[in-house]
Amino acid sequence: MNDRRRTEDLIGALAAAPLPEPFRPGRTLAAMLCVMLAGLGLYLAIFGIRPDLGAAWAELAVQAKTILPALLSLSAIWLALRSARPEGRVMLWLLALPGAVAGAMVLYRLAGADGLSFAEMAGQTALACLGSIVLLSALPLAAGIVLFRRSAPTRPVVTGALLGLATAAAVASGYALHCTEDSPLFFVAWYGGAICLVGGIGAVAGHRFLRW
Amino acid sequence: MTAAFALSPRRDCATLSAPVTVGPSGVEERLRQDEVWEVLLARANDGDGAAFARFLHAVTPTLRAVIRRRGDGLPPDQHEDILQEVLLAVHLKRRTWRPDAPVRPWLYALARYKVVDAFRKRGAAVTLPIEDFAEILPGEDAAAPLSARDAEVMLGLIDTRSAMLVRAVALDGKTAGEAGETVGMTAGAARVALHRAMQRLSGLAERMMK
Repeated sequence: MNDRRRTEDLIGALAAAPLPEPFRPGRTLAAMLCVMLAGLGLYLAIFGIRPDLGAAWAELAVQAKTILPALLSLSAIWLALRSARPEGRVMLWLLALPGAVAGAMVLYRLAGADGLSFAEMAGQTALACLGSIVLLSALPLAAGIVLFRRSAPTRPVVTGALLGLATAAAVASGYALHCTEDSPLFFVAWYGGAICLVGGIGAVAGHRFLRW
Repeated sequence: MTAAFALSPRRDCATLSAPVTVGPSGVEERLRQDEVWEVLLARANDGDGAAFARFLHAVTPTLRAVIRRRGDGLPPDQHEDILQEVLLAVHLKRRTWRPDAPVRPWLYALARYKVVDAFRKRGAAVTLPIEDFAEILPGEDAAAPLSARDAEVMLGLIDTRSAMLVRAVALDGKTAGEAGETVGMTAGAARVALHRAMQRLSGLAERMMK
């Protein structure tokens, strides 16, 4: 019975405690977006948007390398917000849709390739691509993790991974404006690799920082 | 693990299954109760402390029943501790409930997370009798991952009152209530302060380990 008395005391103390800080999805996204756009803007100001962007945009592959990551980012951030509430249902299969389109583009390219596909995949700027996307993702992801600590995800690892995917995919769609390698083999491999890497980092961060 | 949870987190399932056990008036009753809970929590989140106390009192029997049904493997004196962890989480995360959403699914999902977490933390340690390990346990003087000196250093990094609480509870084995008395806090306030202090300490410990 002494235990129940302590529970009564706890309820009294909690009722008298100040309101906890609320989790604000709108502000959280705005903060992440600001940090990301600042980084991307600086990057594009220094290294430049590709000079032939206007002409190249007519090609489906060039559009895809901006639009597919953007779609992935939107679905991932939407899912991350759903997963941030205890009762939220997360339909992870949504992430497979942009992935499936990317896979189809790779297969289509492979069907028309004549022996050079590995060199085409390796490209000239793979490491720059990987490094840029990962580095540009770091700060916005950190901001997202910090702000999501006020939310209540019941699967913190999933929420962290979704935040990582969303951030890196958004960065990739901006980085695509700089990158001149237009083969689906290249950008699916390296953008995809960078996005998955940051997703993994997000999962680890979620495990460490989003549990409550 | 989650399937064993006694209550459905989905309101529609809960109301649909109700007539079988309680009869049609049970549904009405439950819906009315839901509305009361929602009004109370909404007012609580507007800063009404009394409404929050009433809300916690109202949900406590349900939570207690859930924990009892799940907690066969644990001694009953731990059930109340787990309940208190859940109540604390309800407070800390209460503003993630949206006033336009039903409160039950939110509350059950939150409670399930905390209950599963609490059982996972305690499960192994509690269900295995210590005698089985007596022969392989290292002696007292074997190097602990966190030595007494480290503990003192870390306690020096948090404020004095919290440090006194932690020392009394963790090192001297007092209850939160007794520890609170020595620093002039109620037992409930002491538990909250302890929880915060332990969080800060585990953060510090992680940094020290690296």
